[in-house]
Amino acid sequence: MAEILTAAATTLTDPVVWGVVVAAAVYGVAIGSMPGLTATMGVALFVPVTFWLPPVPALAGIATMVACAIFAGDIPTTLLRIPGTPASAAYAAEAHELARRGQAGRALGTALIASITGGLFGAVVLMTLGSRLAGIASLFSVAEYFWLFALGLTCAVLVAPGRISLAVVSLALGLLVSTVGLSAVHAEPRFTFGIPELLGGVGFIPAMVGLFGMSEVLRNALVLPGEAGSPAEVSVAAAQHAEAGDAAVPRISTALQQLVARPVAWLRSAVIGVFVGGLPGAGADIASWVAAAASPSRRDDDLDQANINRVADACTANSSSLAAAWIPALVFGIPGDSVTAMVIGVLAMKNLDPGPDVFEKQASLVYGLYIAFMLANLVLLPVGLVAIRAAGVVMRTPQRILLPVIVLLCVVGSFAINGSLFDVGLMLVFGLVGLACDRLSIPVGPMVLGIILGGPLEERFVQTWIGGRGSLWAFVERPMAAVLALVVAAAWAVAMARIVRRRFATESTHG
Amino acid sequence: MAMQLERRLGVPVNVINATGGSGVTGLTRGARSRPDGATLMMMTVELSMLHWRGLTTITHEDFAPLCLLNRDAAAVFVRGDAPYESLASLEAAIREADAPLKASGTAQGGIWHAAVAGWLDRCGLPADAVTWVSLNGSGPSLQELMAGGLDLVCCSVAEADALRASQRVRCLGVMAAQRLPTAPEIPTFQEQGVDWAMAGWRGLGVPADVPPERLAILRDAVAAEATSDEFREFLALAGFDHSFEPADTFADTLAAQDRLFERVMTSEALGGVAADAQGGLVFPAAMAVLLLIAAGTAVAFPGASPATQPATEAAVAWTSRGFLHALTVVLAVAGFVGLVDVVGFLVAASGLLCVVLIRFGTHPLKAATISLVAAGAVQLVFGMLLRVPLPRGLWLDG
Repeated sequence: MAEILTAAATTLTDPVVWGVVVAAAVYGVAIGSMPGLTATMGVALFVPVTFWLPPVPALAGIATMVACAIFAGDIPTTLLRIPGTPASAAYAAEAHELARRGQAGRALGTALIASITGGLFGAVVLMTLGSRLAGIASLFSVAEYFWLFALGLTCAVLVAPGRISLAVVSLALGLLVSTVGLSAVHAEPRFTFGIPELLGGVGFIPAMVGLFGMSEVLRNALVLPGEAGSPAEVSVAAAQHAEAGDAAVPRISTALQQLVARPVAWLRSAVIGVFVGGLPGAGADIASWVAAAASPSRRDDDLDQANINRVADACTANSSSLAAAWIPALVFGIPGDSVTAMVIGVLAMKNLDPGPDVFEKQASLVYGLYIAFMLANLVLLPVGLVAIRAAGVVMRTPQRILLPVIVLLCVVGSFAINGSLFDVGLMLVFGLVGLACDRLSIPVGPMVLGIILGGPLEERFVQTWIGGRGSLWAFVERPMAAVLALVVAAAWAVAMARIVRRRFATESTHG
Repeated sequence: MAMQLERRLGVPVNVINATGGSGVTGLTRGARSRPDGATLMMMTVELSMLHWRGLTTITHEDFAPLCLLNRDAAAVFVRGDAPYESLASLEAAIREADAPLKASGTAQGGIWHAAVAGWLDRCGLPADAVTWVSLNGSGPSLQELMAGGLDLVCCSVAEADALRASQRVRCLGVMAAQRLPTAPEIPTFQEQGVDWAMAGWRGLGVPADVPPERLAILRDAVAAEATSDEFREFLALAGFDHSFEPADTFADTLAAQDRLFERVMTSEALGGVAADAQGGLVFPAAMAVLLLIAAGTAVAFPGASPATQPATEAAVAWTSRGFLHALTVVLAVAGFVGLVDVVGFLVAASGLLCVVLIRFGTHPLKAATISLVAAGAVQLVFGMLLRVPLPRGLWLDG
């Protein structure tokens, strides 16, 4: 106990820690709010700086950056329908819907509070249960992962707005796109048409930026009101101003009240986040979709409330998953996601060797890390508020100036991740695809998740198949796998039921 | 290494991680980059292996080597509570088992697979005595081992450090000529009666046509940093084995490795491993079927009830002016992609913005100002702060 207090005191009174945390928070928000830039990239650029920092500030910086980036991804998601991070894609439709109805402030306030409380929950779990939770990773073999990814994809279908059948169309398209590149496991070129850039597959960032961002730009361009000063533009501008005014006031107290009013939902989402995040290879994006799917959409609630609830649940989950991703990294040296892969490198450099006895051998360092996690989420409050108000500026810019700038950001965002112009071209193509989908009422969320998870899903399928030497039994013979398979089956049953119910509802209204 | 080189050379050195394709993606990018000395390549043992598998035409001759940085010998791991006491008992188990044991460490045909295949070959065992499950590297493989999905894993000792320390996994032997200084308690294969060694390695190189003066500068800089105390300490801390070879020795090593892997990759041990029944087109075919079913359902069950949908925007009619707006955006982006390498980012981005702004109704002068300011800001933030390599245009390049 004394050790914890000493560590806490040392960390909290260290100006270097504060300096790094604040700088990392601002940096994280900047990275997270730009479409196409991911937390992974932010951490990758930060790692060289950590060479010169002592261990606790270095790790504190990374934790803060990621926590802030995940929240900041919600800002363009809500205001522009462009997900800043893949995790935000799960509720992009709901969040933007709220903004369109003048509820941007409420949405962002909810997202902020959900992120902070979710992150704190994750940090507390890391502190109290860390080493014991690591054991869950050893229950998950390739078969379990297959069902987990299948569950994530199923959740994307359940969460998508509109008709289930169209959501499945979107999912299937995304999964087909994900097969471009080298085939899973055997690494043979598939559907690459001789284009070397496609050997790496279709990048999900250009696809996401294109499907959400560029298509939104094109959609708005097609219906852009007339020249500056025309009556149509004035009314749109007035509406924007009203929204902007609302966006500037995040309504924290309301968000807190709502959180307290739904403790079960919050806890459920936070636990989903921790569970999914603690599994190597499954991170914030899957947690986000699963929590969104688990979020009940009661039809007697008003539409805004249902959307707010979904945003809150998904944000809680994707933030609580962040700290949990460090568990397999700290205990086994196995990265939970690409960020923790880099963290392991930094840990090695700071002489903090991963292992179950890391909690005993290096207790003071680890406790300093826990404090850093708490700090990261608390710093998110002021930084997040400032970011939201700054975002209000965006909303006040007339569309005819805002849209071209967004085009540039989409272009640079899709270029930045690989330094590849081919990705910019991909982004444009997906922008057109997104436009077509919008016209056909096909939701794009499942497509994005299909592109992200299609490869891993197929890999796990082939790996389980090979391991089982061609026997399908291998998919369900392990108890955990069987349980997950049942959950997936149940989810699909729910989806089918919705289709059938709708058919009968239509029939009865026509009958 | 990037950080140390940056200090020595005085220019930003960015690491770009071009993942995928068992290393083919990165290899292709490195070999095809402009031979001006600005792009270095982290060459790994896969360079000697991939072209023998027909996955690429790139070989070590496409590069001018700078130096070898490290070698990591392959080692065999089993779960901590497994009944195999030694390499011999594992070998016996493989021989006597009814169903093949399951192994992994990397993808099919990767270095650790080659290591295991070579070992089995030495023992006179057929290649399919062990089923190789392709996993994405040592991390997932070790986790799979712990979860009970595999019987043995082959990877370097450093990668299993934490798990060995906690006794979740045990190392039965390392495929090296001598015991590793970082793990002297692990016996070698040689000591246990198996004359077999294999290691992955990493080194630096540049495309073959880099001008000699630049090559010399790079070789000297890299050699100085690779032999520095700082680098050695870093490798030791992370558990990697330090194995420096200057350019000419490295070149010989590359040639020797190429010949070694010609034998290994085309041997019966690897070549005879039957591809499993699941071809690369099964999954896409299944997805296509799913697509057809879903589309069919969508058509057959039309008419969503409005109450269950969020209020989507009414499909506003596209005007011809709107259509031209959208077309301008598309053409502007296409123009950007086509011209940016020629005129550089700043000009291309300003042009893109300017064209679209004017089309959308902004006064040309205001548009030009906004364009320059915005493009400049992006150049600053992305190009300098975030160090994204924005194209510099033909006239800015040396």
